[in-house]
Amino acid sequence: MARFRLLFLSTAVRLSALFILIFALAAGALVLYVTAMSERLLIAEIRESLNQEVAAVQRAYERGGIGQLARVMDIRARQPGANLYIIAGPAGDMLAGNVASVAPGLFDKEGWTAEPFPYRRYQEENAKHPPRVAIARVVFLDNGMRILVGRDLAEPGALRFLVRRAIFVTVGAMGLGALLLWLFIGRNALKRIDRISDASKKIMAGDLAQRLPVSGSGDEFDRLSLSLNEMLERIGKLSEGLRQVSDNIAHDLKTPLTRLKNRATEALAAEEPDARRQSLEGILTEADQIIRTFDALLMISRVEAGSQAATLSDLDLSAIAADCVELYEPVAEEAGFRLDARIAPGIGIKGNRELIGQTLANLIDNAIKYADGDQADKTIRVNLAPGSGGGVELSVADQGRGIPADRRGDVLKRFVRLDESRSKPGTGLGLAMAEAVMALHGGTIALADTDPTNTDHPGLTVTLRF
Amino acid sequence: MTSEAMDCGRAAADGKIAAMKILVIEDDLEAAAYLMKAFREAGIVADHASDGEAGLFMGLENSYDVMVIDRMLPRRDGLSVIGELRRKGVNTPVLILSALGQVDDRVTGLRAGGDDYLPKPYAFSELLARVEVLGRRKGTPEQDMVYRVADLELDRLSHTARRAGKDLLLQPREFRLLEYLMKNAGQVVTRTMLLEHVWDYHFDPQTNVIDVHISRLRGKIEKPGSPALLKTIRGAGYMIKDGD
Repeated sequence: MARFRLLFLSTAVRLSALFILIFALAAGALVLYVTAMSERLLIAEIRESLNQEVAAVQRAYERGGIGQLARVMDIRARQPGANLYIIAGPAGDMLAGNVASVAPGLFDKEGWTAEPFPYRRYQEENAKHPPRVAIARVVFLDNGMRILVGRDLAEPGALRFLVRRAIFVTVGAMGLGALLLWLFIGRNALKRIDRISDASKKIMAGDLAQRLPVSGSGDEFDRLSLSLNEMLERIGKLSEGLRQVSDNIAHDLKTPLTRLKNRATEALAAEEPDARRQSLEGILTEADQIIRTFDALLMISRVEAGSQAATLSDLDLSAIAADCVELYEPVAEEAGFRLDARIAPGIGIKGNRELIGQTLANLIDNAIKYADGDQADKTIRVNLAPGSGGGVELSVADQGRGIPADRRGDVLKRFVRLDESRSKPGTGLGLAMAEAVMALHGGTIALADTDPTNTDHPGLTVTLRF
Repeated sequence: MTSEAMDCGRAAADGKIAAMKILVIEDDLEAAAYLMKAFREAGIVADHASDGEAGLFMGLENSYDVMVIDRMLPRRDGLSVIGELRRKGVNTPVLILSALGQVDDRVTGLRAGGDDYLPKPYAFSELLARVEVLGRRKGTPEQDMVYRVADLELDRLSHTARRAGKDLLLQPREFRLLEYLMKNAGQVVTRTMLLEHVWDYHFDPQTNVIDVHISRLRGKIEKPGSPALLKTIRGAGYMIKDGD
């Protein structure tokens, strides 16, 4: 019962019911119109033929007087399916005719009877038979006699009845069929909605791997399920990413916090002022690193939220690249690298100077930190040129050990560092931030080998495409 | 941190800074107590207000050298305090402290009438260095065309520098670095302040980029036989100064 009520509540069924109602009303109006029109036509035709009868009867009267009239009327009255023929006296009393009785007062007025009138035929006088209905024309003769010629209306009535019945039966059958069809569709839809809501309940209960059922028919339910499934996929990925990030945060903060605690213990135990001072400075360094990590995290999430989108302005990317190279040149040289800048002049983009500068600084910093080794070529190339696809490409290429192709996606994630021991200083957020910054600028970041033919030191090229 | 503050304090105590009087408007009482103590140790007289209205009142009634104003304050927010002070003709340099340490906020903060902007969390040494630079700003020879520290001379008009009368060959950036250091001679200048004023970037360079620039500059300006002028202040930054 509850199911039936649900069925009735479903939009499909309610719309269907409304549709059936409107359809039935329209069909009914059509039936009435058609029958009314055909009846009018029929009556007009009847009148026409009665007029001819009346003319014939009048001619007979003019030719041979009342005797001829009576004879003609008698002959006509005897024909099968005949019209009504009555000869009445001046007082309206029936003298002759093929009708047993008519409504009284019928002969008072000459011309067409205003309304169809009831009458009875011979052998049908008892009340068992319903009275028949006819229309007629009354003519007054010059001798005061009256004649009536009429046509039984059983014929048009039957037609009307037939047409109406046919149409009502058709409409009824159609309505019933539609109702059944719609009930079936509604039930089907309801079943599928039940399945979808069951699946969503499971998802809400925490089973994010659950997916909505897809029937494979490609209908609108499937389309809805498919896009909801895509959404679930994305949510799943995001929550997985979130879980990973919080795991990594926990891990990345636990290490410096542990060191912080150790230094504090050390400082407390230190007897010498110099040793204590050194421990305290170590504590400061650790705390600075933690703050730096949080700053970078906050920065990434704000960049990802796009809150800085409003501050994009026209920038001279060439100048930013040159500034960054100039800023890092001494550090690179100190670390034994040559910073080789090939910067096309006058390249302008719309962007945030601070974020792009920081991103490029991070990339150069990474190259200096991670590309060290025993390779012969210790050059870091910073290239800025118009890209092949009409955009702008800014790349930092080193000749270090590179990143294996299967780890390149990982290093863009937060806190992922290939250097498992985390022996080099850094937050593990540089590339994640670069990716977020590029997304904000509607660009991309790509990692590739600098020289794929060199197996030992393929190097890493990070390309920013604006 | 305390030892550092004392370090900076010592470095500053022999200057005019001992007389500096500042106002701190900060609603976090613990943070404020720490700041009060640290400023006192650095030889700075600091008043404290814990909400925007009180801070505005104190800022209008008393005369300060610098105001340190938190952005988010009860009763009246930091930016509105600054706006009101400026409207009433108080032009005391203001340093804005903010937990929203991002580029946009810096821009809105400075546009509202702030003179410097420091995102939380910050090292006290950084705050102290910036307050000292702001406090001295009034007396800074902004119009001076030639800066002098001992026998080191920098001509802002001709873009030349000399040490003991001999011309120094400086790159344009090295010149700007030296110019900023000499403009704030006798005061601690942090690495972030240098990155801000010399390179116009506000991020935190992860490696020792600034240190290497400084050591190159040092190699050009320091001569054997002459006293060292460009000093490293441990845990804080750098300072150009004659004598110790």
